[in-house]
Amino acid sequence: MILWNRILVGVDEGEASLGAVRYLAAVLGGSNTSKVRLLAVYQPPDPDLEPDPTALAAQAAERRLALEARLAEAYHILVEARLAQENVSTELVETQGRSIGATIMAEQAAGGYGTVVVGRRGMTKAEEFLFGSVSSNVVHQATDCCVWVVA
Amino acid sequence: MPEDGLKRRAEEVLGRALDRVRVVTDTTQFMELSRGDVLDLQGKRYLITGVAYEGRFGLDEEPKHWVKRALDLADGGQKLIKLVFYEQFDLPIGQFKVRCYRSPRKEARILELVRGRPEFMQGVTFIDAAGNEVRVLDRIPGQSMDRVLDAQRLDHPTYYQTRLKGLLTKFMGCLEAIAFLHAHGERHGDIRRDHIFEHNGHGGWIWIDFDYNFELAESPFGLDLFGLGNVLCYLVGRGIPILQDIKRERPEVLGRLDSGDLSLVIPNRVFNLRKLYPYLPEELNRVLMHFSASAPIFYERVGEMIDDLGPALELLP
Repeated sequence: MILWNRILVGVDEGEASLGAVRYLAAVLGGSNTSKVRLLAVYQPPDPDLEPDPTALAAQAAERRLALEARLAEAYHILVEARLAQENVSTELVETQGRSIGATIMAEQAAGGYGTVVVGRRGMTKAEEFLFGSVSSNVVHQATDCCVWVVA
Repeated sequence: MPEDGLKRRAEEVLGRALDRVRVVTDTTQFMELSRGDVLDLQGKRYLITGVAYEGRFGLDEEPKHWVKRALDLADGGQKLIKLVFYEQFDLPIGQFKVRCYRSPRKEARILELVRGRPEFMQGVTFIDAAGNEVRVLDRIPGQSMDRVLDAQRLDHPTYYQTRLKGLLTKFMGCLEAIAFLHAHGERHGDIRRDHIFEHNGHGGWIWIDFDYNFELAESPFGLDLFGLGNVLCYLVGRGIPILQDIKRERPEVLGRLDSGDLSLVIPNRVFNLRKLYPYLPEELNRVLMHFSASAPIFYERVGEMIDDLGPALELLP
């Protein structure tokens, strides 16, 4: 069952996602009618790109650590804004071959989140064509939920 | 094979005498491998005859030491042998730089995937004594399709009337081939017009070189699509028209162009070719305009491009 006040927030290493968290804190601050899940999506380094298994493992660990640190930071922002700790949770999931946008939306569907919040960094049209965009992928794949894109 | 017999066989396939032959099973130090060395790869033997040279624009004649020209000692067949060379660099694409990785593993995987498909270069991967993935490629008798086309001096109206439909029909086969890769989760990684070879015999077009890779999870095929758009523009325009050239050669057209007519990514390339060649069908031009700065939507899959290009082809003479 999809509930509007179950909110899924995509968090990554970029500043835009922290901006989205701050926006959410400003909107929900002091209110405890919503449950917020902070979600970081871990994309393992591609073994095609790094032949040395030790270096690959180090890269993987570094990425995970950076995301965990960002989750902790985002959690802190929401709790500071007087959201009850029991209403804020964090999770780190792996892409498993999907895009980050697709992974977020898979979590949304599985968890029955009614609202998805993502940041958007100012990509040009050309960048979006060449490299893709998490927020665009989320918007394109969204059904039965509300998406907030915080730019 | 005893040393004498090996030397004799090597000279036989080469057609001339060799000072020496040396059997090599570990290809890690590829710079040290040269003419007269025989690679022994899981029991198959190849005589190195030289090094391959870069064909990329502006880098012609730069030796690629990790790619050797070779002969198969079993049947004398001409091969290109790609040895393991890892490198990372920033590939300039318009105003952007994309981190690019050379991945022998990716190329080996694609060679396996496309075995027997005539629209791709063919080859076998062997593991050498040091665990390197050595790719032994069948040499394609021919040259890149842009060299073939550039050698034919036709004005655009004649080219349009006599050649374009046939060329785009062949290009459709190239698109289907890339769609096949994407359907299997792989990307070509370095789509350029000089990475399509034309076979001297049957004239078919063949994709080569699959070892570039990128970390582009949100749009895994975006760079391939960008490359396909450039190849299409080259084919339709008989060369990609550059603003500076138009200014010099057709100044009367310049005033009709605006920024929306240019490539989305490389804004000195004209993609609205109908403004240069008004006889081009609108349907064909519309496919090109998906790669222009004025495009409201982009192609996200090669299949979408194929769906649009197919009907446009029917309108060509």
